[in-house]
Amino acid sequence: MKYVIIGAGVAGTEAAKTIRNQDPDGQILMISRDTYVHSRCMLHKFISGERDEKGLDFTEKDFFERYGVTWLKGVEVESICPQEKEILLSNKEKVSYDRLLIAAGADSFIPPVGELRKASNVYGLRNLSDAQAIVKEAKDARHVLVIGSGLVGLDAAYGLLELGKKLTVVEMADRILPVQLDAHAAGEYQKRFEEAGVRFVLERKASGALCEEDGRIHKVTLDNGEEIPCDLIVVAAGVRPVLACLEGSGIVCDRGITVDSHMKTSQPDIFAAGDITGRSGIWPNAADQGRVAGRNMCGLDCEYTDTYAIKNTINFFGLVTLCVGRILEDEGDVVRIREDKKQYKRIILKDGKVEGILFQGNIANAGIWQYLIKNRIDVSGIQKDIFDVSFADFYGVGERGKYEWVTK
Amino acid sequence: MKRIMIDEKKCDGCKNCSAACMQAHRKEPGTIYDLDLTDPANESRNFILKDSQGNYKPLFCRHCDDPECVKSCMSGALLKDPESGHVFYDETRCGSCFMCVMNCPFGVLKPDTVTQSKVIKCDFCVNAGGEPSCVSSCPKKAICVEEV
Amino acid sequence: MNQCYGCSTCKSADKPLEGYIAGLPMETSHHRVEGQSTKCAFGLQGVCCRLCSNGPCRITPEAPRGICGANADTIVARNFLRAVASGSGCYIHVVENTALNVRNTARTKGEIKGVNTLNRLASIFGIQEEDVHKRAEAVADAVLKDLYLPEYEKMELTKKLAYGPRYERWEQLGLLPGGAKSEVFHGVVKCSTNLNSDPVNMLLDCLKLGISTGIYGLVLTNLLNDVVLGEPEIRMAPVGLRVIDPDYINIMITGHQHSMFTFLQNRLTDEDVKEKAKKAGAKGFKLVGCTCVGQDLQLRGAHYTEIFDGHAGNNYTSEAILATGGIDAVISEFNCTLPGIEPICDQLKIKQICIDNVAKKANAELKEFDFENRPAVTEEIIDEVIEAYRARRGSVKMNLFADHGNDNTLTGVSEVSLKNFLGGTWQPLIDLIVSGDIKGVAGVVGCSNLTAGGHDVLTVDLVKELIARDIIVLTAGCSSGGIENCGLMTPEAAKYAGPKLRAVCEKLGIPPVLNFGPCLAIGRLEIVATELAEALHVDLPQLPLVLSAAQWLEEQALADGCYGLALGLPLHLGLPPFVTGSKAAVQVLTEDMKTLTGGQVIINGDARASADILEKIILEKRQGLQI
Repeated sequence: MKYVIIGAGVAGTEAAKTIRNQDPDGQILMISRDTYVHSRCMLHKFISGERDEKGLDFTEKDFFERYGVTWLKGVEVESICPQEKEILLSNKEKVSYDRLLIAAGADSFIPPVGELRKASNVYGLRNLSDAQAIVKEAKDARHVLVIGSGLVGLDAAYGLLELGKKLTVVEMADRILPVQLDAHAAGEYQKRFEEAGVRFVLERKASGALCEEDGRIHKVTLDNGEEIPCDLIVVAAGVRPVLACLEGSGIVCDRGITVDSHMKTSQPDIFAAGDITGRSGIWPNAADQGRVAGRNMCGLDCEYTDTYAIKNTINFFGLVTLCVGRILEDEGDVVRIREDKKQYKRIILKDGKVEGILFQGNIANAGIWQYLIKNRIDVSGIQKDIFDVSFADFYGVGERGKYEWVTK
Repeated sequence: MKRIMIDEKKCDGCKNCSAACMQAHRKEPGTIYDLDLTDPANESRNFILKDSQGNYKPLFCRHCDDPECVKSCMSGALLKDPESGHVFYDETRCGSCFMCVMNCPFGVLKPDTVTQSKVIKCDFCVNAGGEPSCVSSCPKKAICVEEV
Repeated sequence: MNQCYGCSTCKSADKPLEGYIAGLPMETSHHRVEGQSTKCAFGLQGVCCRLCSNGPCRITPEAPRGICGANADTIVARNFLRAVASGSGCYIHVVENTALNVRNTARTKGEIKGVNTLNRLASIFGIQEEDVHKRAEAVADAVLKDLYLPEYEKMELTKKLAYGPRYERWEQLGLLPGGAKSEVFHGVVKCSTNLNSDPVNMLLDCLKLGISTGIYGLVLTNLLNDVVLGEPEIRMAPVGLRVIDPDYINIMITGHQHSMFTFLQNRLTDEDVKEKAKKAGAKGFKLVGCTCVGQDLQLRGAHYTEIFDGHAGNNYTSEAILATGGIDAVISEFNCTLPGIEPICDQLKIKQICIDNVAKKANAELKEFDFENRPAVTEEIIDEVIEAYRARRGSVKMNLFADHGNDNTLTGVSEVSLKNFLGGTWQPLIDLIVSGDIKGVAGVVGCSNLTAGGHDVLTVDLVKELIARDIIVLTAGCSSGGIENCGLMTPEAAKYAGPKLRAVCEKLGIPPVLNFGPCLAIGRLEIVATELAEALHVDLPQLPLVLSAAQWLEEQALADGCYGLALGLPLHLGLPPFVTGSKAAVQVLTEDMKTLTGGQVIINGDARASADILEKIILEKRQGLQI
């Protein structure tokens, strides 16, 4: 059996591990644009110089040898032919497969504003290649503009701060990290970034960005007419699945490759996992999808069920935040807040169930909240302040000493 | 694999397991007598929780069969050792994202209090011969190690 | 399967005893060590507070203060002061009873066996009474008067008894104690809920309690006992379980108040009482020494050869003594009477009688010592003991251990008998110290516990280390009991000493470890030290003298220890006194004390390492004296 995996991200590597555990003799080939296996969550550490390329590797030591995976790196897939069970590579080689996993990930989305897409000094931050380019470009850059203040935008800013750059961050929303945080929690990070020298321009969009003769953008105009001078622009406006190679393959796509709960695509023996599915953009889920795909590729019946992905952790300047579930308040919600000089915790409750939590400053032992939220567990009967609820209130010890959630 | 088995009915909340854990993981060597109980750098990896009736519920890392913390680790710092079955943490690899804290369904994990950059995680006292200090310190024998 | 109760007994320095206890069919303290081996870390460090209903509060990194706000320093200091005050109270109780007994003896024109000591005390106190009984009464009254003073009035005898330079230092530091009983009262008030929170202030109070404990509870108790019971005389005596002679009706005595036994002791050798014993089938009565009151009796054994054969063992040997089956009754008046002897007494039909209600044991009959009615009470006790003898002999299996211990332990050492032995002057000892034949002096005092390596283990190992370094060891307390049973107080033990000390011992025919007797005799060690300092014209902290309570057990030992610190002596402890949770307390006790009084606490559970430290201090002191 020959397994081919496109992509060396966590979905791909987890699939490879899973396949190897099921099929000791199968041939596994991994093909990737990436030349280093790297954790995309740590790219800011590369920009800041804290880690080199190898330091971003998230796999076990000697991963490829250990799991018997052949890795074709620095190669793109040009097309896929399900009928021939073959893929064509950028080096014009053809590779056959028995089972194929497409886990090629996503690329940064550069919005069609002015000439952002054309300019040579505009980068996203999605892959190591982006980070490498940013570092190179940043050498001569004094002023960096970051468009978007989501996790990626702030990651970029955080890394670049270490390099001593003058930073401006433009954000459409009225606060930074608008998807993850409320205004109060966002303010804590904004304060820290500002103290470190970052300027935020909130509730503004870039509206004009023209290349000059050198092919670079030297200033960006905002929707209020303000001009921000810049030598380097990092755009953090989301990602789009890498779907180019699917053209003509007959693989059905929507926002990404459409998959069923077994991570199967519309074409036989072709699976997809991770960001390319356009499902959830976070690490644990991508990893899970990779494992599910891997098992199904080996002929086991396995479903991707733990799809819950409205969850994030944030850590800048040693201020840690955990947010799970709904952040914005709705009618009929009960919002509880616990705040002191070390922490800000906010819980949204509805009909006795936890809808969302936002814990900032102290996330110790907070793993239970995801479980409570995604399983819609009624907490109204617990004679405790909601903030004091812990696993003790659902405590069960089952076979072989495993913990079990005991819910009524 | 070996697991710390818990009989929560026997726990009387003395927290000796926590003190023993702090002792086992202190930076400078010393005895339980000179363990600095006011230094936030000395942290326990286990916790004695209480339910709303006041019953003690010991919270100890299960070194799960299918560990959510490992599955959520984006740096490779958390790995399940295929030999012992225990989940080990390599702080030099840790990216301090704390997705493991988020994903542990029992709330066992936490960031370290002082630097908020490392994960406080049971290592089964592997550096002390693999006999967990908490277990030998429990006066009620509410915890014990068993092969599971 | 055999008949042993359990095979997990703790170690003993005394290996034959260890084997004997391991083979016993009943439970002893030695069996219980393992079950209690898990210690609460918060308790060990002294940072558990139960002073109010908010508690127990314990100090952790997440909770560095109790609910009230008390931090580790306050909690530790309060707990420590509470322990020292209790310990002081115990010794003050002992001296009070002893002084009352001396007074009653004097008033009833009873026998004054230690006239020399009486005269010495009268001279120190400035009492001039021609009549010996009036003199004794005045001495006792002077002690009692001080004990009963309020806390705000300084005790008068402190200045008369303390070494001048020490007294001055105490005065400078504000450590002169008021009435000793009131100081205990003051101490327990101070450490109660939400009163004092100043660790240094409380630790200074501990020193003050140490002074009243030492001078009154220790020094004076010894001397007052000598007045009515006789002065120690150096001689050889048997020790260990071998002293139990099953042909006699044997009464094991435990406690610290020798004067309470005066009447009974004498009565038991009266012909009519002996006749009673014979009628019951015994040759007569014997007192079997156990704990400190046994050491007291042994110390003065020269006066009691008929009734007393020797000291059988210390606190944690008491269960083994009973397990021999040869004991018919236990008469106790104070600690260290372990609660653990009760089931053994029940099982072996041993009559338990308490003569002081502060130490009433659960299954014992309380026959409070009543000076006025003592003839009648004594007769009752004698009859009950004979009844117990009759009831148990024959029906209780004997498990004697006739080989245990030895026959030639040097005993009867006191500040007077030792000086007399040296020719009426300390000069020979001083010369040996100056010449380096004796490198220094170590007082190894205190108790035995079962946790510092096992029963007497650290004490005996430390003593061996010290004598091997030519440091002569003087002992007082239950430490003596362990060391003597291990043979280190026989002249033959000279072979364990370093070459220089060995030569001295062999020349003089003495062991390298000299037994001063009960823990009370720490007071005698202090007199020796003071007289040496006087002869050398130096203060106590300058002497090449160290103290070790290697296996300190209880609150009394902590009060003793505070006396040692007030005297300015280095004090070694094998286990920390539940203070290490407080950086302030540790700093004061181990470092700052050096500038306060000259003393210091050294905590080390390893015999060799401890001896290294103590030897180093001795060498430094020698250097300071340029010898």
